[in-house]
Amino acid sequence: MTKETKSQFDGKPKTFVWKVTINAPIETVWNTLVKTDEVLPFFFGAVCQAQDGLKPGKNMRMASADGKFAIVFGEVKEFKPPYRYSHTMSFTQNEGEDPAFTTYDLKEVRGGTEFTLTTECIPGTKTGKMVASGSFIVDNLKLLVETGKPNFAAKMIMAMGPLMGFMTPKISHIENWPLS
Amino acid sequence: MSTENDMTAIFHALAHETRRRIMDVLKVRPGIGVGELAQEFDVTRIAVMNHLAVLEAAGLVISQKDGRTRRLHLNTAPIQMINDRWLDDFSSHWARKLTGIKYAAEAAHAKSNQAKSKKREGK
Repeated sequence: MTKETKSQFDGKPKTFVWKVTINAPIETVWNTLVKTDEVLPFFFGAVCQAQDGLKPGKNMRMASADGKFAIVFGEVKEFKPPYRYSHTMSFTQNEGEDPAFTTYDLKEVRGGTEFTLTTECIPGTKTGKMVASGSFIVDNLKLLVETGKPNFAAKMIMAMGPLMGFMTPKISHIENWPLS
Repeated sequence: MSTENDMTAIFHALAHETRRRIMDVLKVRPGIGVGELAQEFDVTRIAVMNHLAVLEAAGLVISQKDGRTRRLHLNTAPIQMINDRWLDDFSSHWARKLTGIKYAAEAAHAKSNQAKSKKREGK
């Protein structure tokens, strides 16, 4: 590693970016990304929930497939089909931490759709460590749109869904995270 | 799926020590500016920019304009796709076990070497 391994960004948000080109039309990618009330293999088998759809200023949450837990809670910041969707993002189990900020950008390019995930988070927070899962989301959304099937790791996580309930802290119970 | 041309570009980009070291720096300092990055290397700024162009063409580096600076990020998605091509869950489980033993043994070996040389210095 370099001599400057210690971060100069301590305390300031750190930005992570992942990008893939997906061999599918932009509408297909968009519709896959913003699906609500359906299990999302690219998002750890969670279900995106919102009241009256995803709209700026409104809350969203990623709930466990059985609907018992809220894994992620956030506020929609931008919703511009089929180009941009952004929201704040807190893992419910890290309650009280500053939220991270996630942006999905879609762009039509030769050969399909360029899909970019950008996450800003405060380094050193638990949320900051957890957003490293960005490549899982980007990678699996690509595979899902192109082949219709999630990858093995995603299938494993979905199969483990009911089991993970035991490990989920009380604070994550869905009734603690109302949408309005 | 990525095409063979994409893969060739990725492996070409990876096949240079300076470019791999650039990726090391971007891993720990996401969002670093081009100038700051160039300071980390003994080669000229132009040489670093040429390496960055190769890395960007392969999709391994993403650059974003921020005022007058160009901020650089490592994109790990292409590396994940290399992984997906040859590793499945079974082989990755065992390969990880093996590399885990390798890292642990090497760390232990380095530690005992350090202790030995300290002892020698003490004599």
